[in-house]
Amino acid sequence: MGAMTEAVNDRKIFRRVLLSPVKRRWAYLLLPVLMVLLIVFILPMINLGLKSLHPYTGLGSEGSELTLNNYIAFLSQPFYWQLLGWTSILGVIVVACSLVFALPLSYFLARTKSRWKQFFLLLIIAPMLVSVVIRNLGWLPILGQNGLVNWIWLNADLGKEPLHLLDNYIGVVIGLVHALLPFMVLTLISVIQRIPPELEEASISLGVKPLGTFLRIVLPLARPGIIAGSLLVFTLTISAYTTPAVMGGGRVIVVSTYIQQQVSTLLNYPNGATVSMVLLALVVLLSIASLRLGKTEA
Amino acid sequence: MGRRFAFRIFVTFTFLFLVAPIISVAVSSVSGGAIFVFPPSAFTLKWYSQIPLSYLQALKVSLEVGAGATAIAVIVGVPAGLALVRGHLPGSRTLSAVCLMPLMVPSLVIGVAALQFTNVIFDEFHLSLVETVFGLTLAHSAFTIPFVVRAVIAGQVQLNGDLENAAMNLGARPMRVFVTVTLPMLGPAVLSGAIAAFLISFDDVPIALFLGGGEVTTLPVRILNSIQFDLSPAILALSTLVAGSILILIALCGKVFGLDKVFGTVKS
Repeated sequence: MGAMTEAVNDRKIFRRVLLSPVKRRWAYLLLPVLMVLLIVFILPMINLGLKSLHPYTGLGSEGSELTLNNYIAFLSQPFYWQLLGWTSILGVIVVACSLVFALPLSYFLARTKSRWKQFFLLLIIAPMLVSVVIRNLGWLPILGQNGLVNWIWLNADLGKEPLHLLDNYIGVVIGLVHALLPFMVLTLISVIQRIPPELEEASISLGVKPLGTFLRIVLPLARPGIIAGSLLVFTLTISAYTTPAVMGGGRVIVVSTYIQQQVSTLLNYPNGATVSMVLLALVVLLSIASLRLGKTEA
Repeated sequence: MGRRFAFRIFVTFTFLFLVAPIISVAVSSVSGGAIFVFPPSAFTLKWYSQIPLSYLQALKVSLEVGAGATAIAVIVGVPAGLALVRGHLPGSRTLSAVCLMPLMVPSLVIGVAALQFTNVIFDEFHLSLVETVFGLTLAHSAFTIPFVVRAVIAGQVQLNGDLENAAMNLGARPMRVFVTVTLPMLGPAVLSGAIAAFLISFDDVPIALFLGGGEVTTLPVRILNSIQFDLSPAILALSTLVAGSILILIALCGKVFGLDKVFGTVKS
């Protein structure tokens, strides 16, 4: 009896390790993807992590010994804290601006009964799909010294000097809010659509004005979406490279542009790798936090 | 009433803000006066006939890399997506997480990692992947694969199993059921994943900047260089054509397969 259960157990374990023939066939289908990802993603990321543990010994070269000095230098120098600080402030500003624009827009899209709704949604999604450099390029005739905004500004006599809206933080904020607003809107629409409109109708029939109803009924119920959208937009802001590079005109140094400078211009691979790992750690932590929150709220 | 009017104005303004840069590229591309001066002074199509060969060369590189990275993603991603849902394999949640992991990593970081890994490959195997279309295609496949895998996983959740069971009851063999029933039903999901993968590859700057070097320049990198060094209206003309093609492609796919199906997986 005992020997038999043991044999059954053995077979179970055997199956677990070697899989049944049918399952094994399914498992083969996963081999190509794992092989390719190993070469193009997993090994390069491990190599990047190792690079960050070697000392910098000159342009494009590094010592062979393993050390944590790059990370200690990162944590002990005020410059890197400032870099993280500026990048985070940029993230917070972009999140705040996106919320200001996205809340009314998402509310409108979630509640509208217009037959143009699909077209409106297309208007939100379409800019996301056009290359980000092309969109950045499009801001130049609008925000430049002789652009549309300054034409209005000077002709309406709002000021004597043209506004500087490019090659600085303002330009980067405008570019990023534009690029990331659709992510915020799509997150918010799905949450607002789940709020029963009867709640708002009840509030209005009890004499609360539409704005008060929005602030006291819709906003609190949309909180999970606001948090999820904000985390997403913050994460995408600190990960973004192209928009800070183009709209900042090389004058705005955030974590991503700093990494590019270290790797491409200064050929300091260990330092580039170290800051990359710090950025990666931040992004992964934020993504995990977002997933956790999503699970508890749902 | 005043508040309601203000709300409408604000929403309209937000829509305008969203489409402004795309309209701006198109308008500037047909403007004859000095570059980037508002209001545009004259209408001209001359920039469209003066697109330099180097820009078209960059467009060709982008199309090659995008097509290659999408093809790799479909070839390895579709079987993987099927196995992850239907195989009921032990640890399939972990395996899905591995396949989708690159989506979490900023593409700049993938670029740095890819560049440094090409150095390792060169040192070990004397194989130079830097400044080659092939190397760039491989690097892009790191983040095109997850888009296809995710689309195929999502597509099967919506899939109706009844048709497959019916085919099997009528005597079709599993392979035949798969080819004649399952695959056609998965078509829109695979297509939406492939479109997302292609557009993401076509959009990328950081990886192409690191791996392309001076030899292999993609269109986004060419535009970036143009903005920084030698801005010419011809780049506006080409950008308009590219943006227009993307929008037409999206509108067509939306029309044929339904907006929700195509875009359900595009947003990340």
